[in-house]
Amino acid sequence: MEGFTVWFTGLPSSGKSTLAGLLARALRERGRTVEVLDGDEVRRELTRGLGFSREDRDENIRRIAYVAKVLTRNGVVAITAAISPYRAARERARAEIGRFVEVYVSCPVEVCMQRDVKGLYARAVRGEIPQFTGISDPYEEPLSPEVVVHSDRQSPQESLQRILSYLESAGYLQPGMALVPVPAYLAGRLRRRWGDAFQRRLVEVLAAHAEGEGEPVSPEEEQQILVRLRSLGYLD
Amino acid sequence: MARRLLIIGLDCVPPDFVFDRFDTPTLRALARRGSFGALESITPPITVPAWACLMTGRDPGALGIYGFRNRMDYSYDRLAIATSAAVREPTLWDRLGTRGLRSIVVGVPPSYPPRPLVGQMVSCFLTPSARSEYTWPPELKAELESRFGEYLFDVTDFRTEDKAALLRRIYDATAQKFAIVRHLMTTRPWDLLAFVDIAPDRLHHGFWKYWDPQHVRHEPGSPFRSCFEEYYAFLDRQIGALLDGLDPDTAVLVVSDHGAKRMDGAICVNEWLRREGYLVLRDEPRGPQRLEPAMVDWRRTAAWGEGGYYSRIFLNVRGREPEGMVEEGFYDRLRDELIAGLEALGDEQGRPIGTRVYRPEDLYPVRRGIPPDLIAVFGDLYWRSAGSVGIGSVWTRENDTGPDDANHAQHGMFVACGLPLPPGEVRGMRLLDMAALLARYFDLDPAGQEA
Repeated sequence: MEGFTVWFTGLPSSGKSTLAGLLARALRERGRTVEVLDGDEVRRELTRGLGFSREDRDENIRRIAYVAKVLTRNGVVAITAAISPYRAARERARAEIGRFVEVYVSCPVEVCMQRDVKGLYARAVRGEIPQFTGISDPYEEPLSPEVVVHSDRQSPQESLQRILSYLESAGYLQPGMALVPVPAYLAGRLRRRWGDAFQRRLVEVLAAHAEGEGEPVSPEEEQQILVRLRSLGYLD
Repeated sequence: MARRLLIIGLDCVPPDFVFDRFDTPTLRALARRGSFGALESITPPITVPAWACLMTGRDPGALGIYGFRNRMDYSYDRLAIATSAAVREPTLWDRLGTRGLRSIVVGVPPSYPPRPLVGQMVSCFLTPSARSEYTWPPELKAELESRFGEYLFDVTDFRTEDKAALLRRIYDATAQKFAIVRHLMTTRPWDLLAFVDIAPDRLHHGFWKYWDPQHVRHEPGSPFRSCFEEYYAFLDRQIGALLDGLDPDTAVLVVSDHGAKRMDGAICVNEWLRREGYLVLRDEPRGPQRLEPAMVDWRRTAAWGEGGYYSRIFLNVRGREPEGMVEEGFYDRLRDELIAGLEALGDEQGRPIGTRVYRPEDLYPVRRGIPPDLIAVFGDLYWRSAGSVGIGSVWTRENDTGPDDANHAQHGMFVACGLPLPPGEVRGMRLLDMAALLARYFDLDPAGQEA
């Protein structure tokens, strides 16, 4: 399976790490190999010594993007959760990585300040942290991110579903629990029948089938198979 | 250049039968021209998951297929048979189909109900009856029946004591399978032709004691003492006839899903669980019988097991099973306890037998569906698992479901010609490596992304 990078961006305490964790878990449940590059951990392990000047922030993002690129080209899903405040740096990361999904975790700064998960806003307001994004340093909102989630009015689960839906519709993820390719001839036939709704209808049909009972054999047939498996000693 | 591949699947064939023990000139000549060796199966080495893993390159956890039946939910009784619908990862023919390449698939488990593909499919031994719709496209069924009579999807009445009749049916099944394959391969265009003959497995289970002096119920001087030797010579001739009609550029893979070994006896897993106090029944069973959920006092039961050739053991967890009693915090300790107890269990005299009990997470990095809480492989596969209760002992030398002489072994075999492998004996091959090898042969995306 091909890798890709999900690049979370947003203000401090907007919910990037929470969503990155939820997404990682959901993707692992689908059998994907996932690595989360969380901003705090990256600054501790990969970019120790860098500060918060524009130059240092760009260098921080450049290194994260490089690691994400390496992971992505090796079939891993890389999830980054760093503020990444500057548009130009994010665009460079996009260009370098290629299979890149930008998720903007939108949240008004007042709400982030109320949350203030790490107590940093309070310190920034007191002037203890210079160049704090959202207070004393700019945050440049993405102009055309693949996904926008509003963490002030959506639950983390709703946001997660929005991200997963995008990943499925864009072909990064196969719908459902597994990769089920449709033979070319059948895809052609269904496209002719369903037109633009092909992808959506296919997902609906698959979902309905999966929800049904997943057992396409009739009860009578199932009984016949059971009797044979039992006589073969496979069951009891 | 267009590439073609013929996969001859021989269920349950161990490497020594083909490479050392029996007279198999065709297979040995093929091995001399190409590569060959033992093939390590999956755990558990059992037919349906093993073939599904071979054809998809995914392990049982990734497929969510842990045996012939899998739990549908955490109730005590809802188990789904692993039919073709359970395979939710693309098989080799699914992947070739996305490229417009054509496949003929005959009898590869699990392939009932037959699934649409670019090509033809005849379903496997899971076919309920000859009345079922067992071909794709559906009209193929009538064509096959007009030429070959009723489709022998399996060897019927396998537990009979009429061994002469059983042996005839085993030969009939093999002969018909090869005849159907010869017909399809000469009347249809194909890039992949994959088929599985289940009959060797049935031969091993039905006749092992006659030829192996080490078998606990060996009958010296039996008229069936040379039936293995004769059958393998017959099978080898069938393969020879098939290869004779083949374009020499076609790659050939002869492969088995697991091996076979004599069966020394059975461990009655539920009798052990009862003896140790993990499983409590409402009433003492009157004689041997299958364990049914209604017989169990669930509020006092911590674990129960399913039989078959290996055992799936389930814990009765509070908040998970309907009447669960094992506290979640005790789950891992209980599993450790069961593993230690079962692995220490020897034979009737207490001699060690080499039982291994696995946690599913030890075996499979990803676990879809509902895996068993433990997977027990008894006595280095010289012992099978019996799920019946009321046997009165943890050990039985009699099989609880009728005569059966053999068990599965961890290593099957392969012979490959024309595939990208080094020549001669290749050591360390695993069944799970095969799909990637075949993908490479067809220049498919190794990551399986051609869809």
